[in-house]
Amino acid sequence: MNENRFASAFLVPGAVWMLLLFVAPLVFILALSFGYTDDLGEAIYSTRLDNYERLVDPAYVPVLLRSVGFALAAVVICLLIGYPVAYYIAIFGGRWKNVLIALVVLPFFVNYLIRTYAWIALLGDDGMVNGVLDTSVRFLNTPYAVIGGLVYGFLAFMILPIYAALDRMDPSLIEAGKDLYGGPWQTFRHVTLPHTMQGVLAGSLLVFLPAVGDFVAASLLGGPEEVMVGNLIQQQFQASDNWPFGAALTVATMAFLLIFMLFYLRSAAREAREATA
Amino acid sequence: MSGDTVRAHSAEPSASAIRFERVIKRFGELAAVDDLNLEIRKGEFFSLLGPSGCGKTTTLRMVAGFDQPSQGHIYLDGEAVETVPPYKRNVNTVFQSYALFEHLNIEDNVAFGLKRRKVPSDEIRSRVAEALELVELHGRGKARPRELSGGQKQRVALARALVNRPSVLLLDEPLGALDLKLRKQMQVELKGIQREVGITFLYVTHDQEEALAMSDRIAIMERGVVKQCSSPEEVYEHPSGPFVAGFIGVSNLLNGVVQNGGVKLASGATCVADVPSDCPPGSEVHLSVRPEKIWLDELEEGMVALDGTVVERVYVGTTTQVIVELAPGMRVTALEQNVARARSDDRWQIGDRVRLGWHREHARVLR
Amino acid sequence: MSTVESRPTAPARPPAGADAEGAPLKPPKAFDRPRFLKFFMGVFFLFLFVPIALVVLFSFNSSRSLQDFQGFSTRWYQTFFETESLRDSLVASLQIALVTMVIATILGTMLAYGLVRARTRVSSSLNVLMLLPLVTPEIVAGASALLLFTQVKLDLSLTTIILAHITFSISYVTVVVRARLVALSREVEEASMDLGATRWQTFRLVTLPALWPAVLAAGLLVFALSFDDFVLSFFTTGESPQPLPVRIWAEIRFGVRPTINAIGTFMLVISVVSIGLALLLPRLFGKRESGLKVLLGREGA
Repeated sequence: MNENRFASAFLVPGAVWMLLLFVAPLVFILALSFGYTDDLGEAIYSTRLDNYERLVDPAYVPVLLRSVGFALAAVVICLLIGYPVAYYIAIFGGRWKNVLIALVVLPFFVNYLIRTYAWIALLGDDGMVNGVLDTSVRFLNTPYAVIGGLVYGFLAFMILPIYAALDRMDPSLIEAGKDLYGGPWQTFRHVTLPHTMQGVLAGSLLVFLPAVGDFVAASLLGGPEEVMVGNLIQQQFQASDNWPFGAALTVATMAFLLIFMLFYLRSAAREAREATA
Repeated sequence: MSGDTVRAHSAEPSASAIRFERVIKRFGELAAVDDLNLEIRKGEFFSLLGPSGCGKTTTLRMVAGFDQPSQGHIYLDGEAVETVPPYKRNVNTVFQSYALFEHLNIEDNVAFGLKRRKVPSDEIRSRVAEALELVELHGRGKARPRELSGGQKQRVALARALVNRPSVLLLDEPLGALDLKLRKQMQVELKGIQREVGITFLYVTHDQEEALAMSDRIAIMERGVVKQCSSPEEVYEHPSGPFVAGFIGVSNLLNGVVQNGGVKLASGATCVADVPSDCPPGSEVHLSVRPEKIWLDELEEGMVALDGTVVERVYVGTTTQVIVELAPGMRVTALEQNVARARSDDRWQIGDRVRLGWHREHARVLR
Repeated sequence: MSTVESRPTAPARPPAGADAEGAPLKPPKAFDRPRFLKFFMGVFFLFLFVPIALVVLFSFNSSRSLQDFQGFSTRWYQTFFETESLRDSLVASLQIALVTMVIATILGTMLAYGLVRARTRVSSSLNVLMLLPLVTPEIVAGASALLLFTQVKLDLSLTTIILAHITFSISYVTVVVRARLVALSREVEEASMDLGATRWQTFRLVTLPALWPAVLAAGLLVFALSFDDFVLSFFTTGESPQPLPVRIWAEIRFGVRPTINAIGTFMLVISVVSIGLALLLPRLFGKRESGLKVLLGREGA
């Protein structure tokens, strides 16, 4: 069909670019993960599983677990902070809704590095907090600092989807729920929460994904005890020059996150189907 | 089919604006248009009428060039156009959604086609002004589409199409989005414009009243097939089959069986009727009578008569519909005009026995 | 709200169960009362803005201290603009963002048009492919890009950064433009062809003008994202010049430096201006919808 041929031509440049600069690199990474480094430090492609075996080495397993743990902690805290904020703005915001949400989003226009750096300025040994309180508490180089950094970095990603879900909800549902269930807490549990579950899941995923692979927070706010998989990968590709191992780490991280993504997509599709049924 | 046979179908081939020759359009397994053979004469106001899904819009789109027939030929002014893209055909379309260019003002909208054809700019200016005058939008040239009402937008769409002086104007349910009063007004205007300009109009609609009011000829389609193609009077008074009878206007369709010179209805009663030759005794038929042709109680000599009970009365202002049950499951709607001297709802109460009748020639036997 | 009127409920039932992440549920009834929430919101905004306010404030501090504000001064901004390497980094960041914006917008818009208007067997796969970069963790993106450039023996430089940025920006453009395109009725394009415009003319004269607000908004979004990007740039940068975020990283590693405050504030202004333009420009062009709606793909007022 003539029309189809015309429109199909438009697909070519973008598709070619994506194949060459997005798909090909990922294929290379996958291939390299089965390779090794020779005596000269050169990365060689091969078919060895050594790098993957190294992943379960006691030296590295804690790093992987810690990444997941920190990311999960960040998700939970973002949820505990973010849900009430979203709730307040959506339900009680009134005419100020848009202004409030803009205010929530505004800080996230500051560069992630700068935002994290700001916490160093605040919590460092020579920072503001220690200065004001005239103490020298060690805030940084702790797991809490890293988790805090992750929370501060990605909080907006939790708030926005939940806000969207709450905003979309029919307010009369809450009223009806109050009639039915009596207490506001019960209403929340039986009416509000289920209806916003998709938003909660989306927000959780949007925080979890970047948090797992993050290396900025751990680097700037944490110490040697707080190494995450992102730091590890970065080291392999820059300091240690062990690209095959770095590739394996990358593949493992990507695969791990893909599982969560698929789970989320399946849940979103089910929700969409139920909504139209 | 050779050229000779084609010529044999019409005395002057160039007198037809559009000709469909065994046109079939398939979407997957479904034939949206099935073996269409039609000829639309120059200067005619021709309507394609039918329920949604009957293939009328598909047919229009094939003439415009947005879809190609799966089989068969379409001739515009005698030339086959199946492979000609829309921008090379000498036809223009008025869409139901108006499809105006929101980023251009009215003048530029109307001038669009002329600019593509590299018409010199002073000619463009005068022709655009002429077109806007024709649709009574003179002076609104600088306005933007979003500032206009639905009716005004439709006129811009019309002007934009007509200014190019196409040999055929295609209209796809152009009045569908307008309210009733505006629609009736536009119908009269459109008919007037068509007469004035003299261009062939191919009009698609599902509103049978609209088609009856405006058309020189109507083709009624059902499921991709043309059921009848004639003038409004023909189609209304002499429907070719039950579908047409039921679709055009309101009709009573009574089931029955042909029986010596008449029809024996399912209720048991027999009616004298004009039975066509292709309906032998015993064949199952529908007896079709228009409600306004049915008289209640004060019957004339020689009328076909039946007895029944009034079960419903519906007052619609100018008329009253009286629904009479001849037998369980067999109901007939009669229409009485509410003229000053006699008001129907005084005369027939629900439950009354009534005798209704019609002139023999007002009933059609359909298969 | 109606907490006072609530019927006496069985108080003994503790909030059993957990939410999706296995976290303990929210605190009890007080949670819903606006008064508590308002207080919570206040603390929240404090927590959110104090660090940034600090950075902005101390960027104007006349001394190096991060604990005492000793007077207003623009010395750190002067240092920023007078340090050649920092200046070069700023210019580099702007160049990268600009080129990325132009090319990603063109490629992304074309892709959006093809995905919406063409029916091919590969359409759905291409759609998935287009969405993948959006969910790819930055570290995976960076590492794989680095590997690619090494494999094809392309030296790391501004060019490699630009190539990587474009790759991960295309998706944003496609998503934004596609939402707009889907809302554009096909009949308008058909009307154009009906009136004598070829498919290419239709695209140029009818489709693109209608898409313009979305294209513009997407472009500015890409600019802001590219200007702010760190991880991708970090992996694909050459020796010099390096984009600003990469330089900031290097500076931070050395410890807290007041100049960073100035750089951070400056970058904040640039980002806010870009996004502000992205939201406002469509409106200025006479469209009724706000840029936010364009970016989010919602039609109508």
